Amino acid sequence: MKRQILILFTILFTWPAFSQFNPGFVEQCATNSGKNATYLKDFQVVLNAAQPEQVAPIARYPLVLSKNNIYRFSVCTPEDSPGKAVLQLYDSNKLIFSSFNKDTGEEYNPFNFLCQKTGIYHVFISFLDGKQGHAVGVLSYVTK
Amino acid sequence: MFRSAFIILLTIVFLLSCQTRKGKQSATEFEVPDSVLTSETMVISEEALDEIVQNVSSPVEMAALIKELGVPFSTKYLATTDYVDKYNTSFKMAYNLGVFGADLGYLNIYEKSAQVVDYLTAINKLADGIKVGQFFDFKTLQRLATSRENIDSLMFISVNSFNNMDKYLRENSRGHLSALMIAGTWIEGLYLVTQVAVEKSSKDLGDRIGEQKVNLDNILLILNNYKEYQQVSELIATLNELKDEFDMVDITYEIGEPQTVEQDGMVMIVQNEKSVVKITDDQLNKIINKTKQIRNKLISA
Repeated sequence: MKRQILILFTILFTWPAFSQFNPGFVEQCATNSGKNATYLKDFQVVLNAAQPEQVAPIARYPLVLSKNNIYRFSVCTPEDSPGKAVLQLYDSNKLIFSSFNKDTGEEYNPFNFLCQKTGIYHVFISFLDGKQGHAVGVLSYVTK
Repeated sequence: MFRSAFIILLTIVFLLSCQTRKGKQSATEFEVPDSVLTSETMVISEEALDEIVQNVSSPVEMAALIKELGVPFSTKYLATTDYVDKYNTSFKMAYNLGVFGADLGYLNIYEKSAQVVDYLTAINKLADGIKVGQFFDFKTLQRLATSRENIDSLMFISVNSFNNMDKYLRENSRGHLSALMIAGTWIEGLYLVTQVAVEKSSKDLGDRIGEQKVNLDNILLILNNYKEYQQVSELIATLNELKDEFDMVDITYEIGEPQTVEQDGMVMIVQNEKSVVKITDDQLNKIINKTKQIRNKLISA
């Protein structure tokens, strides 16, 4: 009986960890985009591991970017996330840039984007090797 | 024994949920009509609506652009907070909540802490009025604004508060108030940039105003979802007058491949596909005048 009570109280006190992203982590990530960067929005992603023979889960976020603005894209993966997050920027179905180059293993986090076409873009966030994971992507405005 | 523990647990969960959902007392007497609390009839799906909401650019970008152009700060571009107590309908509260949100972005960008507190107070009052005050962390924002200790946190918490209010309203069958808030934010941002354009002629500003054609289409899509509300329907009609002016603006596209360069030790992708805005002085003036007319009418008490 004691064990059942213990389980119930464990669920109760760890509930917030399951139900929401740690707001402190999100703020820390959002406010650490670097020099001359002003926070605009964030993308909080929690994904399950890929099933065998299946494509790795991916989260997609639409956003409008304006011409002549420089935007900074960064992604923060907390230490307790099994998978490392990769952020990709798409214009329609065309990949503009990825924060990780699979061929070379190089990471580009954060990266800047000088937008020359006002329109709708998409941010995709996934986890390397289709692992389970949680991460925060951040979009910032960069002062020229 | 187990049953008793379960009851205790449920009681704790209930009390905790009451605490996190606790709203502050409304400063203004305001009854939410029953019709509002029933499910809203959506013209487009919740998912599609969410995408469109994300597709409205932030007024912070406009304010940042204005600052970058070297335009000095001026309170004359801002909506007065003097009428806040006179905004006594949910329509006016939600709309002006958005207006003050845009002004807050402008104040934050220019780091005007003295004025920020005034706008935070007004926002807090209106948020309480439409019962979303629990998402507006007034005390933290006030502390950050007055101490100027961390402008990044001020920006983050401001933006996040509005996002949370918007999300809560849409999830609780009050999406029309969220739509009004978004419209208020956008119109105020447009007013700000158009008024700056009156005083400072700039190709960049003119182009940026012309490009708002895309955002206006998105705003109308959002509002159309709630056109069964008379006041939303009237706002749509008003904004359609502005759309008539924006329809004259032509946007064309030039193809090009992106280039990767290194700047200050960081990778930068330079897009070579370009949008080209064709807007005449006459078209720009008509948009400026119509925006001013609409904005001033909507913020009046």
